[in-house]
This record gives sequence, structure tokens and C-alpha cells, in this order.
Amino acid sequence: MIEEKSKKIYIEEANELLISLESSLLVLEDDPTDNSNIELVFRVMHTLKGNSSMFGVAVVSEFVHDLETIYDKIRTGTLELTKEILDSTLVSLDHLKIIIQDTTLENAENKENHYRLIKQNNALIDNETTSIKSEPILNSEEQLNSFHIYFAPSITILKNGFNVLYLLSELSEIGKTSVLPFIKQLNELTEFDPIDCICSWDIIIETTQTSKEILDLFVFVKEDAKIEINELKCVDLVSNKEFKKIIEESFYQEEKIELSEILQHAKTFGKSIEIKKTEEVLALPLSKNDDHKKKSKKKSVTSIRVSSDKLDELMNLVSELVTTQAGLSLFSEKNKIQELEGVTENVEKLTRRLRDISFGMTLLPINTMFLRFQRMVRDTSDVLGKEVDFITEGGDTELDKTIIETLTDPLMHVIRNSLDHGIETREERLKKGKTAKGKLLLKAYYSGVFVYIQIIDDGKGMDPAVIRSKAIENGLITEEDHLSEKEIFNLIFYPGFSTASVVTDVSGRGVGMDVVKQNITDLKGTILVESKLNEGTSLTIKLPLTLSIIDGLLIDLDGVKYIVPVSVITKCYEVQNEDMCNNFNKLLLLDGEQVPFINLREEFGYKKLDTGYSQLIVVSDEENSVGISVDFIVGQYQAVIKPLGSYFRKQDFVSGATILGDGSIALVLDTHKIIELYVEQIKTEV
Amino acid sequence: MISITEKNLKISESTNSFLSFKLNEEHFALPVMKIKEILEVPKITKVPHSPNFLKGVINLKGAVLPVIDGRVKFGMSPLEFTVDTCILVLNVDVNGEDVAVGALVDSVSEVFEIEENKIHPSPTIGTQYRADFIQGMIKEDDRFMMLLNIDKVFSSSELDSIVETKIDNNI
Repeated sequence: MIEEKSKKIYIEEANELLISLESSLLVLEDDPTDNSNIELVFRVMHTLKGNSSMFGVAVVSEFVHDLETIYDKIRTGTLELTKEILDSTLVSLDHLKIIIQDTTLENAENKENHYRLIKQNNALIDNETTSIKSEPILNSEEQLNSFHIYFAPSITILKNGFNVLYLLSELSEIGKTSVLPFIKQLNELTEFDPIDCICSWDIIIETTQTSKEILDLFVFVKEDAKIEINELKCVDLVSNKEFKKIIEESFYQEEKIELSEILQHAKTFGKSIEIKKTEEVLALPLSKNDDHKKKSKKKSVTSIRVSSDKLDELMNLVSELVTTQAGLSLFSEKNKIQELEGVTENVEKLTRRLRDISFGMTLLPINTMFLRFQRMVRDTSDVLGKEVDFITEGGDTELDKTIIETLTDPLMHVIRNSLDHGIETREERLKKGKTAKGKLLLKAYYSGVFVYIQIIDDGKGMDPAVIRSKAIENGLITEEDHLSEKEIFNLIFYPGFSTASVVTDVSGRGVGMDVVKQNITDLKGTILVESKLNEGTSLTIKLPLTLSIIDGLLIDLDGVKYIVPVSVITKCYEVQNEDMCNNFNKLLLLDGEQVPFINLREEFGYKKLDTGYSQLIVVSDEENSVGISVDFIVGQYQAVIKPLGSYFRKQDFVSGATILGDGSIALVLDTHKIIELYVEQIKTEV
Repeated sequence: MISITEKNLKISESTNSFLSFKLNEEHFALPVMKIKEILEVPKITKVPHSPNFLKGVINLKGAVLPVIDGRVKFGMSPLEFTVDTCILVLNVDVNGEDVAVGALVDSVSEVFEIEENKIHPSPTIGTQYRADFIQGMIKEDDRFMMLLNIDKVFSSSELDSIVETKIDNNI
């Protein structure tokens, strides 16, 4: 019996392993010959088996053992990876997810499934194909051999942080070497960058290692360098002092020695040289085994488990540290003590680094969520009999873990809707002249202090007329209501609204979109639907990066401090207030370009100034640039963004607040909303 | 909704301590349990485009605390700052979530204890405040004090509706 606590750890780990298994299997489905993935599957299964026996969960370890055997056979080529095997493995995974909770098979249904699957898997094991690969011939002879290695790293290799000398010394550790450097033509000294690598090397080495083992030494630079290894069937070239001398003298300062030349010189010493093989390594994928080694090396240090409470606490402390540091900076600025200023500057630097690292820790790539959908899309489209290409973009976009958790269910729902109601069946699509396979795109990206998540399908789209009549039927609107297309599409977020006339297993009960909207609103996000009949639907979710620290510009407006995120600012100008007041077009001519602007004093209801100067900060989003006028710019500021709370939910222009060094509060401006407002103003004026 | 009233009842059962304060010349009371602390008025940062009863935000030990003008909330003229003006930091239950909010009041009077049965049900007519804002009336000496149902007064939906009418007025 496992203790409660270790059981929890076991289940957590097992679930993680199962998720990674699932994603690898899905990749394999597309490309069954992907050896590195078969390796991965096998390895993960092996880990799972090991974990299970360590925790004494025999049911799981025995079950996984069979699976492992299958993939071991596939790995060694005695078994072919068929769809049958993949399907069976996926079903087995589902079963594993259940039995890791029910380790004694108390549930009768589980028990039945368990033995059925074991039988099924065993049948697969015996189903060996005849395509048995020949055993790899092992060359265990420890024979001294000579190689000629040409090694030309790319010019940027030093910038990438690699020390070439280490490599050379490593080479000399495995045998006797003769290293001949070559320095390329130098540029003018003025153009010369001291961290460019302008050297290449010819190395002749005498070693007992095989060429593959030598190649292993270069594993970390293979992308960054041109490497050639030629085996010289010759024993003691480097030990021969005279040969060494001649080679070194005649080829000093010559780029890449031709093999024939080495041969020639060797001949003069009466050595019979035959070149066994030439191995071009440039852009050659490493063999399976090397890949394996590299990955397992990385694996052992990739992650440790930390409770999320501790991380949250760390975040809070860092936030407080940033605020405190701002106070210190303010104090040091006032007092002008040189030593204090030095220390303060260091503290600021350290704080900034600490901030970046700790915030990076709590963020998860959105990919963790995307992977879960992959499986769901596969299963759902199978059930519905539709063919769907599921594409994800921007999986490396990082979000707070809690946001990802909250988003999973709503996104799942939206994707299910797209599959069920959006994308048509193969026949329907062909009739419409579309590709047979539907396309579903899931995309995530940052913009300013927001993150956007889009779900786009190329299905049948939504008909505003249908939604309208349905809404009238449901009593959401009346015949007299005239709504814009946008407003009509927004109706789908009302509780109890569903246009699907048939309720299917997958979706269509009309509970859901309102919950989706609620979830997004809870995260202080917005959701926007766009749709074209027969062309598809796109759904855009926009979320503020609530828990974050941004680099901002601290500005002053009538004594109130505001923060503008530096990321959206394109330029700052000084303008005369007079120019802004007598301006009907709301356009200023700056740097020969007309810049639309918003007078924030006017917009926020402060007294307008008609003399003196203001600062105009030009901010932009993907499409528009707008200048916003402020009294003056105080300086740069690291702002810990704190939510304003539910009381300001309807507040448009401020996305959060931050605490300044003196303890007062500055408001973080949401420039996107300001640009939106500007665009709307233009529209209404037209 | 039921759960909230039940909760309030439990609180008033467990403790009968109340804090009385003044808005304009009227007396109000709150269960002490609901009050986190009482502050002097610091620098308040006004948030543009916010409803008029929201005075702004302040820094409360590193957190951002919204501050409400108690007078405006109860339909009186906006508060004028005096030496007695202070902020009551309240723990409000908004849809089952604990939210801290600051309320500006003209002055704080005293903390007193009173028996449960001395709290009279609120009159349904004769007050300009919404009946569900008032949990009961307390008679002390010759004057009446209104015991506020603070969760109700500051509940989010209540705020939203006020915000909405405000925006309509602007248009």
C-alpha cells in the first residue's frame, strides 16, 4: 500500500508522463517513421514502469511492461508501427489514466478492461513482422588509427558562448594531435569585431576512438560549424616527428588541407595510406543513438518540483522588493550621497534580474494547454466523422499558470463548437469547393500588456439572420431591435442561446458560450466573434497580463501619475498647448507626418491648458498610431501591476495600478483602449 | 442570497459590537467584525472615468484599495475633508469573495455593544434608502442609528448598476 502523500506524487508524475506519451503518439500517428519519437515513447514508458514498480503499483507496471515490449520491438525494427498498435496504445493510455487512481482494480469495469487490454497488447507483441533488421556490427577492436579533421566554426560561434579551445583540448585528450590553425583574411581594424571567430582548424589525430566517437565531441557545435572527419588508414602519422614537421611547415596558414596533399606527404615517408571513408557531417542529422544520449543528458536537470504556494510567495516578495527598491532609488536621488547612489544602482540591477527570473518561473508556455487539445480534436473529429487539420501557433507564448488553468475549459468548449457546428463534413466541403480537410487554427500571441488567443476555423460560419431570428424566438431581442452584425454575433454569449437544431453528443445544448464569456470576463478579458457565412468563424480572446511587472514610462497629468507601457511607445514629442487647443482635425504635424492625437486632460476631465508645452507620447497597436498628450514625463519606471479590483471593472482607460517609491499610486494606462476610443470617435464623426 | 443573510445573522449573533459613524449629520452603524482598520486619509489617486461615488484608490500596505465616498453612495453631497474624516477599511463579501474596500466617512463616533433584541427591524417606509441596505435600526438615547447591511451596499452587482446609469447619463 502506498502512503497517501507518495501516492499523490506518484499520480502527479504518472499523469505528466501520460500526457507526454500522448503527445508523442499523436506525432507518431502523422509520421510513424519518426524514430526519435519512438525512442521517446519507449523511454517514457520505461520511466512510467520504473516509477510504478518503485511505488509498488504492480498493476500499472505490469501493464506498461507489455506496452514497452511493443515499442521496444518497434524501436529495434522487429515490429512495424501500425494504426492498430497506435489505437490500442491510446486506448491503453486512457485506461492507465483510470487505473493509476484505482490501483487495486476495485471497479469491476476497470478490471474487465484491464485484462482485455493486456490480451490485446500481448496479441500485438506476437504479431511480429518479418522485416528484421540486421544486427548492428559492433567494432570493439581497440585499434590505433589516424584521422584528419577539418573544423571550421561559424563566425558567430564565440558570440553563442562556446569556447572552441576546450574542444581542441578535449581532442588532444583522446589521442596525439597535430593542430594547424588557419586565420582568415582580417577586415579593416575599424570593422573588426573582436568576438568574431575567424579561425578554422586542420587537425590530424592519432587515437583509438572511432570516427563516430570523435564526432560525439562535436555534438554541441554541429549546428554552428562545418566539420569533416576523414579516416586515414595509417597508424603513426602524428608520432612521426618528421611527418609532423613537414605537415606543419607546409600547411601553416593554409585553409583546409586537401586529403590528397596529406597522402602525398605521407607517401614520402613510405606509409601506405588508404582513405577508408569520408564523412561529411555538415547538416547531417545525428544518428539515433547520439540523439538519445543528448536528450537524456538534458533530461536529468530539466526540472524540479516546487509547490505553487512557494512560487506565489516568491512572486509577492519580488513585487514588494521592486516597490521597496523604487523607494530606495527615490531616497538616494534626494540625498545625493555618492556611495549610496552606487549601492542603489546595484540593487536596482539585481532587482531587475531577480524580477525577470522569478516571473519567468511562474509562467508556463501555453503549449501545455494546446497539447491537451490535440488529443481532443483527434477524438472528437473521429466521432463526428470529419477530417480536420489542427494547427497551433505561438505555443511558446507564456501565461500565468492560473490563467492557463482557467482558460482550458472555455477553450475546449469553443474548439468543440468549431468542430461540431463550424467545420463541415468532407462531402459538404467538397460540394462547396473547399479542401476536403477542414482547418482549425489555434493561435496565441502578445501585444502590449495583453495576450491574444484566437481560434479560427474555415467552416460554414454563422448566419446573422439565423441568429437574429433565433434570438427573437428566445425573447432575447424583439423584432424592432436593430442590431449591427457585431452585436448579433454577441448574442451567442447570452445564456440559453443555441442555434443548433439538433442536440448532439458533442455540443449544442446552448449552455456553454455564456459560461465561456463569464470565464473570460472573470479574467478581465474580452471576447470577440467574427464570422463570414461559408468562410469560417474566428474567435478572439484578449486577456490582460494581470500579474506582471512591466517597464513603463512614468508621466504626470494634473498632478496624477500614470504609467504608459514602454512596449507600445513609438516616439515622444514636445508640443505647444496652443496648437492642440485650436485644432479641429485633431491632427498635429510632427516630423513631416500627420499624427492624430487625444488630449488626455480633456478626455479625463481635467482643466485644459492653452499655454505652455505638453509632451506628446505616440503609442501604437497593430494598426493605428495615436498621440496622447501629458503634462510631463517623469522617467522610466519598473511597474508592478496590481489589479484595480472588481469595483473598476467598467473602467476603460486604466488597466491596473502600481505603487511608486513614495508610497503613492500611479495608474497604468491601457493604450489599446485609448486607441480604440480614438478610432470610434473618428467613426462617429464621419 | 440566502447564504449571505445567514452569514450576517451568524456574525451578529456571535458578536454584538458595533461601530457608529457619521455621514453628513446622520448616524450609521456597522458590525465591528466587518471592519479591518480605520485610517487617516492619505493621498487618494483619482481614477478617471470612474463613477462619482468612487473617490479613487489608495495604497494600503502595498495593495491597491478602492475608496468610496460614503456620502455620495447614500445620495448626499460629496464629502469635504476635515480633521475628523477617515477611511474605514471594510471586508465585504461580494458573491462569496472577500473584497477589501475603503469607505470615507465624516467621523467615527464609538464602539458599543447592544443586545440582539434591541435591534429593531428596519421600517419599510419613511426612509430614503433602499430597504435592503438597512439591516435594522438601533435606538440609542433619543436618536436612531441605521445598521447597514454592508455586503449589500457594496456588492458588485449594486455597483455595476450604478456605474451603468452613470455612463448613460454621460451619453
